[in-house]
Amino acid sequence: MATTATATEVQATNLVNYTLVKLHVGMGLFFFIVVALMGFLYSLQLDGIYPFPGIEFLSPGRVRMIHTAGAAYGFLVNMFTGLLYWAVPRFTGYKVFDEKYLGMFMFIGLQAAVLITVVAILFLGQADNVEWGETPWWIDPVIVAWLLLHAVQFGTPILKASQRAPLYVSGWYIAAMLVWTPLVVFMGNFIPRFWSAGSGAGAVQSTFIHDLVGLYVTPVAWGLMYYFVPVIMKKPMWSHGLSLLGFWGLAFFYPMNGVHHFLWSPIPMFAQYSAVFATVAIEFAVTSVLINFMMTLRGSAEVLKYNVPLRYMYTGAIFYWITCFQCAFHVTLTFQKVIHFTDWVTGHAHLIMFGTFGMWVLGMAEYVWPRLFGKETMYSKGMSEGAYWLLTIGVIAMFVDLTAAGLVQGFDWIGLNPWIDSVNFSKPFWYFRSVAGIMMITGLLMYAMNFYKTATAGKGLEAQLRNA
Amino acid sequence: MGKMERFPFVVLVAGLGFFLFADFVSWALPMFVLKDIPMKKVEDLAAEAKAKNTSAWADFQRLAMYYPEQFKKYYGEVNEKSFAKALKIGHHWYVAEGCWNCHSQMIRPVSNETLRFGIPGVSNTVSYPSEYQNELQAPVLWGTKRIGPDLIREAAVHNVDWQVAHLYNPQTTSPGSNMPGYPWYFEKDKNGNIVPNERGIGLLTYIMWLGSWEVKPTKEWALKQ
Repeated sequence: MATTATATEVQATNLVNYTLVKLHVGMGLFFFIVVALMGFLYSLQLDGIYPFPGIEFLSPGRVRMIHTAGAAYGFLVNMFTGLLYWAVPRFTGYKVFDEKYLGMFMFIGLQAAVLITVVAILFLGQADNVEWGETPWWIDPVIVAWLLLHAVQFGTPILKASQRAPLYVSGWYIAAMLVWTPLVVFMGNFIPRFWSAGSGAGAVQSTFIHDLVGLYVTPVAWGLMYYFVPVIMKKPMWSHGLSLLGFWGLAFFYPMNGVHHFLWSPIPMFAQYSAVFATVAIEFAVTSVLINFMMTLRGSAEVLKYNVPLRYMYTGAIFYWITCFQCAFHVTLTFQKVIHFTDWVTGHAHLIMFGTFGMWVLGMAEYVWPRLFGKETMYSKGMSEGAYWLLTIGVIAMFVDLTAAGLVQGFDWIGLNPWIDSVNFSKPFWYFRSVAGIMMITGLLMYAMNFYKTATAGKGLEAQLRNA
Repeated sequence: MGKMERFPFVVLVAGLGFFLFADFVSWALPMFVLKDIPMKKVEDLAAEAKAKNTSAWADFQRLAMYYPEQFKKYYGEVNEKSFAKALKIGHHWYVAEGCWNCHSQMIRPVSNETLRFGIPGVSNTVSYPSEYQNELQAPVLWGTKRIGPDLIREAAVHNVDWQVAHLYNPQTTSPGSNMPGYPWYFEKDKNGNIVPNERGIGLLTYIMWLGSWEVKPTKEWALKQ
């Protein structure tokens, strides 16, 4: 295969700028490890064994904000942008707007924004109390401008392709995401600070938390899934109708979900009810998407045995459905009485962000990475498998553990025991969570080692393949 | 179906249309419902605390009495202006330190929260929109996770003395607590005692202000000199 590249492959190779994919995916992986370590560090504070007490810039509260904001902009945006540089030119057949100058400028700009955020939060005491928008408010205009450039960069090839023929499914998701993301970041960071306060600000902030997940991470990730899964399995999606249903269902209901983060709050009840309704409705859209993917897998399930990237994607898809199914229940006002403000929510967040989107980008990156270096597979199958199982078992362990911890905390609070009881009851769960975290970080390091080896141990592997 | 799968349709209908509709339902309409609640600046909050002689105003005077050297150096006299300044500094560091990662500021009408937070009969009302309609709740500090207790009714729960010790080393007042200590909000005075610095006094003022508007009866809490 490596020696007999077909004409289409050569064409596709020329469409993609390998350097940009390598840079973004590499930095994304680096930040993934950094934010995982930050999360682990914060979990040690809950266990009562924080290694750096009394040091201002390593205060656990600040570290926790790096964990969340870093996951958004350092890890996910880098990873997704790198994968978009690979996927968008390939499914549209056009190059991105400008890779030489704009591409490099955007790469450097993104890393600069993330580093400035880290310095501002840790050392300058400049943070913003918008959850998932902890970046200081004066860096947010830079992020919005960056996202507008990002819309031009990837919107151009999609627009060109659309003028020629109807867009492929990935194109719908990514086109809509390119418009949504700058709007969402602008809305969530400026309206609650400069144009409202209190309950109004709370309604905007909750919409922002959810929209950054639902209108950036979710559509870009599904867009990439609709590209990578058929490519790996070498067959089309099972049903175009279900693809349409899934996209339009997400587009209509997802933006209305936000207020479910603040149920039983002083936000007017009609907004809370509409959020609950829209959240339950979206589970139907999600299930339609999942049916489509599972039916595509039908007849090819044995591929999962030896193809680790595809296995990452389907594992993530199953976690996605579990998360959404769980959400349809705990979004109700009844469940909220118990689980709001508890670790149940933390478990839910980790299952979706790590279990689904983390696994997806790791799978996609593992598919793309060897090809960037002219190889067929990763350096070590053993490390690939080891990383997959450590990450999968780690995230399941963390999810189950935190869900149980959430129930313990929730019922303990209702029971009016002294507050310290809920802390003491939670401690075994928090210890176990740290252990699950060690598993996940070990998996990530193994994965990164494999990446490094694949990139560097070049020639020998290539020669081996040619002999075979 | 051809049109539906083109760039302009997706961008205009899904990208803009649905997004704007959802924003209208989710927050523009609620804001419209809440629009008659006056928006307060920090200076208004300070004036209100003084005029109503709330527990926060008394606690601010206590801080001035306990730490005269630091108070004079950083805040000068006890007046509305210095109170507003302390609230602003305290709020800034409450946000910057990520206190809101573990402490919520919202009492829900369910799960016995009114009994748990605040002091029953003194400061234990459910959260209501107008108490958040001020500059210190933009963005709002409701939070999403409780490791420690809620703080929006904190004013009557502990006194300043407790808060000082707790901020410096939480385990001294709450054995088993996993809250970190914050020694950088303290400095040494000329006798070598550890006392709150500018940020510390601000943070203590801010914490003692939380829920002070709900403490009843307010006059009882006034400091007699």
